[in-house]
Amino acid sequence: MIEIKDLKKMYGRRAVVDGVSLVIEKNKVFGFLGQNGAGKTTAMKMMVGLLRPDAGSVSIAGRSVLESETREIIGFMPEAPYFYERLTGFEFLKFCGDLFPRHRKKTGAEYEALLKKVGIFEAKDAPIRNYSKGMKQRLGFAQSLVNDPEYVFLDEPLDGLDPIGRREIKEIIKLLKQEGRTIFLNSHILYDTEELCDEVGVIHKGKLLYAGSVKDFCSGKPLEDQFIATVEAHNK
Amino acid sequence: MTVHNVFVITKNTFKETIRDRILYGLVAFGALFILLDLFLAKLSLGDMVMIKSFGLAGVYLIGTIITVFLGASIIYREVEKRTLYFVLSKPASYGDVILGKFFGLYGAAILTVLLMAAVYLGVVLYQGGGFDARGFVAILYQLLEAGFFVALLTFLSAISTPLTSTIAAALILFSGHFMSTAVENVKRIGGFTKTFIDAAYYLLPNLEKFNVRNVVVHHVPLSLEPFILSAAYAAFYAAVLLYFAYAFLKRKEL
Repeated sequence: MIEIKDLKKMYGRRAVVDGVSLVIEKNKVFGFLGQNGAGKTTAMKMMVGLLRPDAGSVSIAGRSVLESETREIIGFMPEAPYFYERLTGFEFLKFCGDLFPRHRKKTGAEYEALLKKVGIFEAKDAPIRNYSKGMKQRLGFAQSLVNDPEYVFLDEPLDGLDPIGRREIKEIIKLLKQEGRTIFLNSHILYDTEELCDEVGVIHKGKLLYAGSVKDFCSGKPLEDQFIATVEAHNK
Repeated sequence: MTVHNVFVITKNTFKETIRDRILYGLVAFGALFILLDLFLAKLSLGDMVMIKSFGLAGVYLIGTIITVFLGASIIYREVEKRTLYFVLSKPASYGDVILGKFFGLYGAAILTVLLMAAVYLGVVLYQGGGFDARGFVAILYQLLEAGFFVALLTFLSAISTPLTSTIAAALILFSGHFMSTAVENVKRIGGFTKTFIDAAYYLLPNLEKFNVRNVVVHHVPLSLEPFILSAAYAAFYAAVLLYFAYAFLKRKEL
């Protein structure tokens, strides 16, 4: 279970994340929705331990995310990731895997299987600088799965992918759910979010406006319409 | 902090660094520069002191330029390009990152200096000077200085931009080699200037501790004790700088 309690982050005098509280049960796909600058990425960075909150806490499986052991069971894919461009895809994935004490003995075949899973096996020995944007996105996704995480945090995982790539990544996300993992994703693409998520949260100007099931949120309307209506109602 | 993670990051940094194409250009330029010694040998009618002085100075100069080139953005780039996200969202600490980056870069700096040292030793051998073991001692001292310098660049790149880091590193390098001479000179002047230079002398690193090139080429006897003291001096300064780099990086909002 992911438990977020009264999470707050200030940049100067501005609250970028303002008292967000959420509980996400195990084996759910949770979509975090919001406009650009709403606070989604900042919130996610606190969830994976990259940023320290000014107030509040995040616990994953009952432990603080700031504990090193907690990061053993999570995977994180940043938005529009940059890489060590002179490494090959395989080397980068191995580098990421080697940072997990429990996964140091992973074999080359296991890394290759992961690269196959995200569809970039053919390019495994090419330097990352030669990868297209979509291939980098897939590699970013692969590294988030390198430790077989129970909890996967994906920041805009479908950005930069062509329709086929999007479909493939969506299939993998569905597969991850079938495998019993919990997935937290930030996304702008509401159509995909509707298809993938069991629950959504709507964040606007740092405040959480809604958290709950997609069905309840939409109440028969398209997710996009309902999202816009929620945000506009708050702006009035 | 774990030794294993430091090793993993070291290996990654080393691999990334030595694959830089600009580095190959710089090393090739350095090798050519040292090969100019062959020309100098003719001009100086085979004067071995001239050949060795020029060669060792070349290894030092090019080695330092390469270290600055490699190190001025070592941490800055990680933060700006957000590659740190991949590392710090895993069970790795800020300490692992700083030490891993330091050792990886230091490894690359050692490799490039040794490559140029090999060219230098080859030139001396070709000129009939035999294997220049004393010259190699000067290279070892240079590697100690490189350790300090890599730590300095790691620290500077954690707190500022590559351009500022380069300028600051160049100034510290210059003052570090100049201070011993300045302290001697201001003895005659006295007053505030002396107090100021004395204070700067104790505050800034004394990099002349690592310069034995003159001692080596003029066959002044060498002993182990100054080498050990210089190594301890470099290790102390490097440890302090790396600690501050860690403290600054940890405070940064990623």
